[in-house]
Amino acid sequence: MKKIEYTAIKGNSLAYYGLLGGLGLVMLIGLLAVWHMEHNGHYVTGMTNQIVWGMPHVFAVFLIVAASGALNVASIASVFRKEDYEPLARLSGLLAIALLAGGLVVLLLDLGRPDRLIVAMTYYNFKSIFAWNIILYTGFFAIVGVYIWFMMDHNMYRFKKQAGLAAFVWRLILTTGTGSIFGFLVARSAYDAALMAPMFIIMSFSFGLAIFILVLMASYNWTGRELGDEVVSRLRNLLGVFVAAVLYFVIVYHLTNLYITEHHGVEKFILLEGGQFTKVFWIGQIILGGLVPLALIYAPGVRNCRKTLAVICTLIIIGGLSTMYTIIIGGQAYPLEMFPGYEVSSTFFDGVVNDYTPSIYEIALGVGGVAVSLVIVAFIIKVLPFLPTSLADKQSS
Amino acid sequence: MKQLALVIDLNVCVGCHACVTSCKEWNTSGPAGFMSDMNPYDADPTGTFFNRVQTFEIGVYPNTETVHFPKSCLHCEDPPCVPVCPTGASYKRKEDGIVLVDYDKCIGCKYCSWACPYGARELDENQKVMKKCTLCVDRIYDESLPESERKPACVLACPTSARLFGDVNEPDSVVSTAIRDNGGYQLMPEWGTNPANHYLPRRKTQITIHEDELIRVDNPLKKERQLPMPDADEQTLDDITSW
Repeated sequence: MKKIEYTAIKGNSLAYYGLLGGLGLVMLIGLLAVWHMEHNGHYVTGMTNQIVWGMPHVFAVFLIVAASGALNVASIASVFRKEDYEPLARLSGLLAIALLAGGLVVLLLDLGRPDRLIVAMTYYNFKSIFAWNIILYTGFFAIVGVYIWFMMDHNMYRFKKQAGLAAFVWRLILTTGTGSIFGFLVARSAYDAALMAPMFIIMSFSFGLAIFILVLMASYNWTGRELGDEVVSRLRNLLGVFVAAVLYFVIVYHLTNLYITEHHGVEKFILLEGGQFTKVFWIGQIILGGLVPLALIYAPGVRNCRKTLAVICTLIIIGGLSTMYTIIIGGQAYPLEMFPGYEVSSTFFDGVVNDYTPSIYEIALGVGGVAVSLVIVAFIIKVLPFLPTSLADKQSS
Repeated sequence: MKQLALVIDLNVCVGCHACVTSCKEWNTSGPAGFMSDMNPYDADPTGTFFNRVQTFEIGVYPNTETVHFPKSCLHCEDPPCVPVCPTGASYKRKEDGIVLVDYDKCIGCKYCSWACPYGARELDENQKVMKKCTLCVDRIYDESLPESERKPACVLACPTSARLFGDVNEPDSVVSTAIRDNGGYQLMPEWGTNPANHYLPRRKTQITIHEDELIRVDNPLKKERQLPMPDADEQTLDDITSW
């Protein structure tokens, strides 16, 4: 295999600084939103005591799930020995760390008491899947960091495969942990399913790769570097498989629930009568995030069209956010079933479908987290050689 | 092992919300800090309560009844909210079984609120930590209070004495007796959480009366004629008494 040459991007153009400035502005708006929510309290958000996790968690969980998926490209190279993916491995690792950082920033700032981060880091209740996730996130940073270091350091390069394997195993455990936050919840009808963990893993493959392709195409396009069709079409085909697999898991999840009488209520809610949640599920998650991308990926006329691929990836990201919205907020909106068979009413929203309208502050915080991820990538590829100088067809084959 | 709990008699609860307001009053003035009501009056009010009264109708019209169902933390013997807490801020006291939140350790992740199948946990909007019923732990052991007042505020406030307080694991306690004698039950026992709080069901007092029991067999009117009207010039009771 040819030696791959990596170089940092120049990053001295006006457009580059414009990009950083723009992302910085988005981050600043996000921070202002956090300040507003912290200063005034929970009630200025759309969240209530019924919908306790809102839009920030939709973004945070999406980014965290996508982070482990973004590492996939590197894993294919190091764990599954596909050398064609080797040149992309560094960017894959970097994007994984950046997305996780963005997601955690959102998650942390949405905590009731972000100032007590030190408490979360020093007191562990090992029975809590949430506490395990804290360990899994920090471990992910460390392991992927070491993996990137081994990839970039000639002296340590020989240990790269072992580090890659460790990172791969860790990312599977991490997404299992993220999925289990919902899978381990017995109290809510929409969750309480072992399928949540593998479903989150397969979702991570899809969302992470979609973001990876967008970042790859953008960075090569904007820096004028060559990106061959072979690399792109390989990633595109892989993306098709992942999108189909996500649809498969979603179908299995809902079919299983439809089979179980106990879950008919929540299924009817999500699939038919849930208002905004039904719309987000069918339009966002299934049509825009699943069927349309799948059709476009395999449509014969646009196989090598980069713009179409960018649209596909964007749709998958929209679908991913819709998925998280349906799972996280839809699941909470459906009332707790405390008196099966009875209609419950009270002056405190018991027994009613809980309404949720995301506030602008929550969305600003979530988008701010995305900006954090992108700023990290944009900055690091300027200071360290993460991108191959060329990914033209002849070199990658 | 001691397990303090409330027993709520649905037969006598009239849904007056005295328990709700007394709970709020006591706890907002106590070490739990004030229980925020950031938006109490609009169309979608928000606020923190440890205790709420649900109301539901049972039966089919016209044979319906309204049942008021006060609900606070049930202090489960196997509480699902405790293992999920990442920092261990949520805990169950060994000495009396009360499930509490350490407000200084809670990071406000709200995950316990997801885990509680009874919807008993609420995030204080202002302090941004999770709060819930403490069984007035700051009051029930307060020796400066007369012993009769060492009970949760809601129990003292209930005008119909629908709320009882005591150790459900002590066979002769007032709560155990009430549960035993009146068919007390737990809310959703199928969760396996073994809630300590119990509810006494609606009970209808019925006796069977046969028609002949409504007729006096020795009714003197049967044998004798109607008492005669007094003469017009005869004295009546009004003439000889002072009322």
